Amino acid sequence: MIIKTVKELANKIFFIEILKGLALTLSRLFSRSVTIQYPKEKRLIRPGFRGQHALVRDPDTGWVKCVGCGLCAAYCPSQCIYIFTTEGDDGKKIVEKYEVELLRCIYCGFCVEACPYSAVALTENYEYSDYSRDALYMTTEKLLSNWDKLMSGKKGEDYFKKFWRPLSEDFGTPEGQAIYKKAGKG
Amino acid sequence: MTIDTLINIGINIGISIINIAIVFTVAMLHVAYATYFERKVIGHMQVRLGPMRVGPHGLLQPFADGLKLFFKEDVIPANADKPVFYLAPVIFLVAALTSLAVIPYYQGFVIADINIALLFIFAMSSLGAYGIIISGWASNSKYAFLGGLRSAAQVISYEISMGLSLVGVMIMAGSLNLTEIVNAQYESPYGFFAIPQFIGFIVFVIAAVAETNRTPFDLPEAESELVAGYFVEYSGFRFALFFLGEYIGMFIMSSIGAICFLGGWTIPKYITDILPFLSYVPGIVWFLLKVYAFIFFYYWIRATVPRYRYDQLMAIGWKILIPVALANIVITGLLKIKILL
Repeated sequence: MIIKTVKELANKIFFIEILKGLALTLSRLFSRSVTIQYPKEKRLIRPGFRGQHALVRDPDTGWVKCVGCGLCAAYCPSQCIYIFTTEGDDGKKIVEKYEVELLRCIYCGFCVEACPYSAVALTENYEYSDYSRDALYMTTEKLLSNWDKLMSGKKGEDYFKKFWRPLSEDFGTPEGQAIYKKAGKG
Repeated sequence: MTIDTLINIGINIGISIINIAIVFTVAMLHVAYATYFERKVIGHMQVRLGPMRVGPHGLLQPFADGLKLFFKEDVIPANADKPVFYLAPVIFLVAALTSLAVIPYYQGFVIADINIALLFIFAMSSLGAYGIIISGWASNSKYAFLGGLRSAAQVISYEISMGLSLVGVMIMAGSLNLTEIVNAQYESPYGFFAIPQFIGFIVFVIAAVAETNRTPFDLPEAESELVAGYFVEYSGFRFALFFLGEYIGMFIMSSIGAICFLGGWTIPKYITDILPFLSYVPGIVWFLLKVYAFIFFYYWIRATVPRYRYDQLMAIGWKILIPVALANIVITGLLKIKILL
């Protein structure tokens, strides 16, 4: 312990540093605490929040809007998206199942970004803890009902317009290229 | 012996038992809420809320904690020294509780008004250290043992400086009886012995924190290095006994501080001269206010100062506090002789 100046000596004798610390803690005692009382109060969810997944329901067909291109599954860093497609009667690709393994998802949002048709979404729901693995394995039906429950109507539209501008809006598909068309309009 | 004396003795014993029951109950409730306020105060100092769930603002939290501890499994290590293991928390708590008997809460309310009260409290706090040391030994665990050894060294070092810091008060009051110390303070022109004995007061406050094994001198139970120190192996109600002992120890040290340096249940005459209505406030209120101020200081310092290194702890005790306290005694003694002559 080397004391160089008189000031340092005075600091040591009168516990100046400790008194400063005490003043700080005392001032904090009377400040507002930052705790959010979670189940009672909830944190404000900012726009563009990445929560539980949803699959956009096509209002025309009543089934998924997804075309089964597999871009999201290819981009997905944790490889947790499983897409099962079959060939329909008219030779078109039909998405049979689109499933997400929530326990492996890292909520990066790349799938939403990758999707050219705005067919997947991340909702604002983050309270879906459960007791079994099965409950957290999102089947197509669960994903679609999530969309109906959480993102239907204006909210879903705004979601894509504001945060995930679908590529198909910015870059039109060249003529002659095989593109997805809504069923029945062929 | 006549019937009358027997009846008198009976009445006195009855009164004593009632007094003991009152003090014991109040002390236990006090401990329960001391833990609550500690968590609240430290929580708010760290910009958190502290307990909020059990009851409004977490007011029933102490009872929830107590119930939980009561129903916990009592685990005893296989290689523990069983009889000593059972005995240690009892010694610790009994030593702490016994000290409650000699503390005067207000004029005339003291279970045992003995002339060596201050000495008795020193003795009891030293006995409490036995509880800590033998619990560390009996647990047969390296963490507990290290905690016990640290506590032994720490309590011995700081007991000296605490005793010496109070010698100044003894010289000024001319008594070891706590009631007489309070009365001497009331009669003195200062009102508080903390004013003429400010060196002793500072030494006492630091030593009291170390004596009760509280942060920043909580090396015997240093959570980050010794898990919980001497009571690592204790669980359930035995753990609760240590916990109770620690908080009652804090209450006693705060009471000694309030009685010896801040005038106990009295307030200085120069204050009542200016604000006469204050003399209508009952003494117990002043006493508790002073004690709570001390206890708040314990919490405050815990929320502020990090733990000292062991050599720093020893250096503060032996190289600073003891010489300062000794100098204080010499000065006080000389002044006393000078004034008396």
